[in-house]
Amino acid sequence: MNAEPRATEEPPSRFTHQEWPYEPRFKRVNGWRMHYIDEGSGDPVVLLHGNPAWGFLYRKFVKPLTAAGRRVIVPDMIGFGLSEKPMREQAHTLDGHIANLTGLLRQLNVCNATIVCHDWGGPTGLGFALSNPDRVHALVIMSTWAWPLPPAEFHKRIFPWRMMHAPVVGPYLLGRHNALAGRGMYLSVVDRKKFATEAQRVYEDILPDPGSRLLTWTWPRWIPLDESARGFARFEWLERELKRSKFPTLLVWGREDEVFDHKTFATRFKKLLPHAEGPELVTGRHFLQEDSGVEIAQKINHFLDRIEGRPS
Amino acid sequence: MTQIEIIDNPELDETRRALVLTEDRVGHYPEFRDFFVRRFALNSAGLSRPGYVRAPSGMIYALVFIGRSGEPFPDGIEIYALPQALEVLDDTNVDRDLWALLRWIIEGVGGEWRVEDLDATGRLYQLSAATAG
Repeated sequence: MNAEPRATEEPPSRFTHQEWPYEPRFKRVNGWRMHYIDEGSGDPVVLLHGNPAWGFLYRKFVKPLTAAGRRVIVPDMIGFGLSEKPMREQAHTLDGHIANLTGLLRQLNVCNATIVCHDWGGPTGLGFALSNPDRVHALVIMSTWAWPLPPAEFHKRIFPWRMMHAPVVGPYLLGRHNALAGRGMYLSVVDRKKFATEAQRVYEDILPDPGSRLLTWTWPRWIPLDESARGFARFEWLERELKRSKFPTLLVWGREDEVFDHKTFATRFKKLLPHAEGPELVTGRHFLQEDSGVEIAQKINHFLDRIEGRPS
Repeated sequence: MTQIEIIDNPELDETRRALVLTEDRVGHYPEFRDFFVRRFALNSAGLSRPGYVRAPSGMIYALVFIGRSGEPFPDGIEIYALPQALEVLDDTNVDRDLWALLRWIIEGVGGEWRVEDLDATGRLYQLSAATAG
């Protein structure tokens, strides 16, 4: 828990994986220990994951982006990955997570950044961008949303979505059984055999105990289903400010995404941001980074080269 | 179909409380809070005593209701198994008991919440307790 400030920012243990050879770094933000990697040099590209992932989701992005002369920062949201994991649901709020990201990126003096966001990395990353526009250069938006209503049809259904995180059911299914990091992600990629072989265990093992999985059923409860929802006003603000914004933007979506289907969600982003490029469709369900990581990284490089006037 | 029985005054000598599940926000869907208020007469009982239930394994569980300032009561629930004081919990049995408890809760909440959807969710996520019975 968020107890007395500690003298050290060192992690309790080190994660090792052949596809994740990066130096773990930590900063304390809003009292929590936040993990991130910081690779390469140049203008920063900040890669933001959602539920129930962590920075590992972007393992295939880091080398192509750094090789193109970019600095890559990949934070783990408080509650996920190698970051500290609060033990009470009340520790998690949308505003708190935006403030956590803001705390990290200000400590790192991030300027001229490209914010790449996915799932809950969307509301948090866009929240940072819209409240710190002087630090942001461009946006890349993937499989997410930034408005209060309506949610996706998927999120309104009892089976499986609302049942999965219902009171008492959520702590059992997603807590005791880690259902979202295991089976849930497996069902949300295209090449399931490859995912099961390469990555599924990593996502499961980084959340080893029921208490460490709290955010996996807390985030679903923050998706507004009606006007009484927590966070409703923040989503209204996100939509309003995003519509006013002029950041160069690239939309990338998975063709097979049935959580935030591109025909509904990418189209709505396009209406909010008529100047946005895309949507560029790739092979992928909700976790499109697993199926098309290198391809998306290349699309980001080409997009940034274009808007910066650099030859690709 | 209900395999859960409410127990008014269980024998608690030589038992211990073993925390097996915590719900911080029982009113996320308010009908769940209403169910617990109704079943355990919480409007009158308040914080005076836990709710006790007997599960399919025979184990008794204590449902400890949590209040938070500014929030309707109960705001949270802690679920404790009550094994013999010095005995180790049988995790498989606890898991099946909790699944039975969930089915009982969903059945009691009712309305759009259906046990069939809970079972389907359990099967989708390949829970052994959901596929066993």
